[in-house]
Amino acid sequence: MTELGLTQILIAGAFIAAAGGLLGSFALLRRMALVGDALSHVALPGIALGLLFNFNVLLGSVAFLVAGTLGIWLVEHKTKLPVDTVVGVFFTLSLAAGALLTPEEEILEALFGDISKLSVFDFWWALALSATIIYLLLHFSRRFVLALISTDLSRSEGFHPHRLELLFLLLFAFAVAVGIKFAGALLMGSLIIIPAATSRNLTVSMGSYLFMSAFLGVAGAILGIFGARFYGFSPGPLFVLVLGAFFLASIFFRRK
Amino acid sequence: MSETILEVKNLQVELGGAKVLENVSFSVQAGDSLAIIGPNGSGKTTLFRALIGAVDYEGEIKFTPGVKIGYVPQKIDLERDLPITVEEFFKLKSTALPGKKHIQEALSSVKLSPSYAVKPIGALSAGELQRVLVAWAILGNPRLLLFDEPTASVDVAGQETIYELLHELQDQRDLTLILISHDLTVVYRYANRVLCLNKAQICFGAPKEVLTPEGLSKLYGGERGFYHHLHSEKLT
Repeated sequence: MTELGLTQILIAGAFIAAAGGLLGSFALLRRMALVGDALSHVALPGIALGLLFNFNVLLGSVAFLVAGTLGIWLVEHKTKLPVDTVVGVFFTLSLAAGALLTPEEEILEALFGDISKLSVFDFWWALALSATIIYLLLHFSRRFVLALISTDLSRSEGFHPHRLELLFLLLFAFAVAVGIKFAGALLMGSLIIIPAATSRNLTVSMGSYLFMSAFLGVAGAILGIFGARFYGFSPGPLFVLVLGAFFLASIFFRRK
Repeated sequence: MSETILEVKNLQVELGGAKVLENVSFSVQAGDSLAIIGPNGSGKTTLFRALIGAVDYEGEIKFTPGVKIGYVPQKIDLERDLPITVEEFFKLKSTALPGKKHIQEALSSVKLSPSYAVKPIGALSAGELQRVLVAWAILGNPRLLLFDEPTASVDVAGQETIYELLHELQDQRDLTLILISHDLTVVYRYANRVLCLNKAQICFGAPKEVLTPEGLSKLYGGERGFYHHLHSEKLT
């Protein structure tokens, strides 16, 4: 596998961060901010199997995340437990399985990710998945927003909040799968939470809130990747720190 | 004149194994104002939720084909800093994206100034939010409006004007109205039909005929009209 140049890494990083930021803006409104953090661990067994049996870890994480998400959705519907509780059960189980399976020497990469080691295959997958996530989120944005304002209003318009919930969870799973490549399982949650939290401090309308979340994600990704290249750090953690700086700054610009 | 808009037969709803509605049958004619009354927990809101398809039910709910419904929920829980403006909220309506003109019309029909379009909905007062919800509901020009009165949060003066407003809208737009109310003066003043619920259907008809002291004490379990209560107990 050939390693990719800086431009491709920047493009992939920007796409992944835009998808994560946009998804995060919906997740925050649904009070699912930490679900991303928890979901990222569901991918660990998939990553471990990929490392052990030498297939692409992105495929492994997508497979485990989709299966895990469907499981969460079904258990949530069956038991009526809050979604974060169900996610909690799934994520700790996956973490345990992942800890047993992951080869020791690879554990750091699985936990923290490294976008600078992107393969051509990863690049196209990350682009395709991110673009799909962005497209579907925007396409269904009005329905997602209405459902979170009131499920009854959503039903009175003939929508199906329960199906929308599944779609949203699946998009969430895909966003986490691509995000892991960038920031790793441990830091993936930041991609979902921080740009949206920052944007929420700064905006009053839905349009600007969604745009700002995606934009901040992209800006953080580009600065993080450049900074990492310049100083020889790993891009993931640097990216998170840049996002953290944005967030701190936004506190002082908070709208009334 | 009397075109039937909605026909409900033997409606029954169970939630978590308990019957919350049974034996409910009524019909609504075009132009009617039907008030649904009953004590707390009598299934009024559940009836609405069955009408909009939000709960499973047994029995029959039949709308005349093509009848559009507008729904005003009792309340919606909003975080105060929810980043969504009134205008954006209107645009969530599924029936064709409303343009600027429609949004202004909708606002003026509930007597809110155009400046409300850019306000965040989380910052509205309870009364303003209720008007916005009414405007939202009538945006797609429904023929039938379901209005669930809030139990609290809107003051009496605000409540009076919202009914004046609904009455006006009904005249202007040829609306049929079903409203849940906790206030009998509202029922006498604005409704031409009334449905009394207490899990089962207690009465259905014109307010003057069915809202007798006996009927009311049966419905509210003797909270009103004590001497009639004793009397009706002997009867049952």
